[in-house]
Amino acid sequence: MKQLGKLFSTVIASAMIFGLPSHAHADNHKAMDVPTIKASVVMSGLENPWDMAFLPDGTMFFTEKCKGLSVRTKNGTVNALYGIKDSKGYRDSGSDLFCEGQAGMLGVVPDINFAKNRTLYVYSSSTKYHGSGCKTNFEKCNGNIVMRFKVGNDLKSVSDRTDIVTDIQYKPFESNQPFGGPGAHNGGRLRVGPGGFLWVTGGDRHRGICPQDGQLLCGKVLRIDGDGNAHPDNNPPAGFDKRIYTYGHRNVQGIDFRPSDGRAFTSEHGPWHNDEITALVNGGNAGWDPAEKRGGRGACPDMYCGYEPNQKEGMNPAIRAAYTPMSDTRFKDLMPAAWNNNGYSQGTGSAAFLRGSNWGIYEGRLTVGIMGIGFGGTPPGSRIDIIDIRPDGLGISSVVRMPLEFSKRFRGLVMGPDNALYAATDEGEIYRITAEM
Amino acid sequence: MENKKHNRLYAIFLSRERIGMIRLAKAMLLLSLLNFSGYAWSGDKAAGEARYNQSCINCHGPAGKGVASYPKISGNEVSYTKSKLETYRDGIRVGPNSDLMIMMAKPLTDEEIANLAAYLKDAKYENK
Repeated sequence: MKQLGKLFSTVIASAMIFGLPSHAHADNHKAMDVPTIKASVVMSGLENPWDMAFLPDGTMFFTEKCKGLSVRTKNGTVNALYGIKDSKGYRDSGSDLFCEGQAGMLGVVPDINFAKNRTLYVYSSSTKYHGSGCKTNFEKCNGNIVMRFKVGNDLKSVSDRTDIVTDIQYKPFESNQPFGGPGAHNGGRLRVGPGGFLWVTGGDRHRGICPQDGQLLCGKVLRIDGDGNAHPDNNPPAGFDKRIYTYGHRNVQGIDFRPSDGRAFTSEHGPWHNDEITALVNGGNAGWDPAEKRGGRGACPDMYCGYEPNQKEGMNPAIRAAYTPMSDTRFKDLMPAAWNNNGYSQGTGSAAFLRGSNWGIYEGRLTVGIMGIGFGGTPPGSRIDIIDIRPDGLGISSVVRMPLEFSKRFRGLVMGPDNALYAATDEGEIYRITAEM
Repeated sequence: MENKKHNRLYAIFLSRERIGMIRLAKAMLLLSLLNFSGYAWSGDKAAGEARYNQSCINCHGPAGKGVASYPKISGNEVSYTKSKLETYRDGIRVGPNSDLMIMMAKPLTDEEIANLAAYLKDAKYENK
């Protein structure tokens, strides 16, 4: 009995000595400030939800590409506010608004002074300003606009639509390209940056001359005020439209501002090579130039070299990158990419910096939604990457795949006021992704 | 006598041959029935789902529901889906994303096309 008691004491003592480190080992992630990440569905059954925008009380505006603008109030009620042409169930609609291919009702963001002025901005495709310029793919076709609305106090309606940008180009017809439908490379993300200015992202709409042309707004990032006027400090090259903050883009669907210094970063799709994240420089060139007969290239199908040298078959992405680079080093004002997805293009959508100490070591890192397209040997991989960008914006320190245990085509990412990341998927859901320490 | 014997043997031969012919006809009928029924419910849905999830899902989304600018491809008759995939496999352009579909359809076998068509006919998306 005495011996049994001694043995029992020894076991207890051992557990006390060795048990504690063992417990600490099991919770090692806490010691490393790695948060526990969980995802839950906030909304489902939506039709191509594209973007969301929050008010401080949790009210969430959201767009569905081929339907329109809605709001989910803080108590969960959903009000359909402003639809595109022929959409059903909306309080109001725009007969000029339409969707086609990648185009439709896309970005949404509230004004920085929303509490006072109830102002909301929305990006959409529109027929209102086509004029006579959309007869072929090789004309200036003004088919994308930024609208300003006043939101009713009861969140049941919007009014006073004012089109503050009316001349972002659109691709009206099919062309001889792999993703050649109308509405291609349509950009469309809206965000409010430091100082309350509005940032608008564009795509090259499959027109070769767009990104490097100083008067066309396709393939550009704009920085404007709430009336659509250029920020006074924009510094594009001489002769350029003053609304242009950066140019030489292919298709920017992600933009956010680094919490530590307010610097703008974009994420954009690559052409079967090199999805890119880029730290923007005022007046800088992202280096995309798909025009034919430039950079050593000859003629290309429909005067667009974006999928060459072989747009019919899969081939080594590095060969494509050498032929039509995403970041062409022949430009002296090139903004080098911070990240290029290991040379692959899998379809980067949106981007959002993680804010809040609940994200632990990931706080301040950039999340990027990736649709996961895989062609010609490129591995598919729908996911959200968490990217630690170097302070100089010219490289990264690490990439971590967000541990969600499911794969979706992540189209829209935005931080909520609760320091959770909200993600819209092409499959039709909006997720709330939380982090806890 | 010799002739009689020969005739009897010939009759036996004919009768055996007839039986053989009938058996052969029966076998051919059975084979054709099997083949026809195989065509009618052609394709293995489970194998089709597995093949779909290898590559098609990346553009057309889960269960062929259609996402982004990629169309819904579920809910169509088997013959329609087979015909479309065979058309793309033959390198024939149909619509603006033909180059992509031709690339994806080229390596498909007849069996894979049949399996995909069988799966997509009744595939339904449920968010799990």
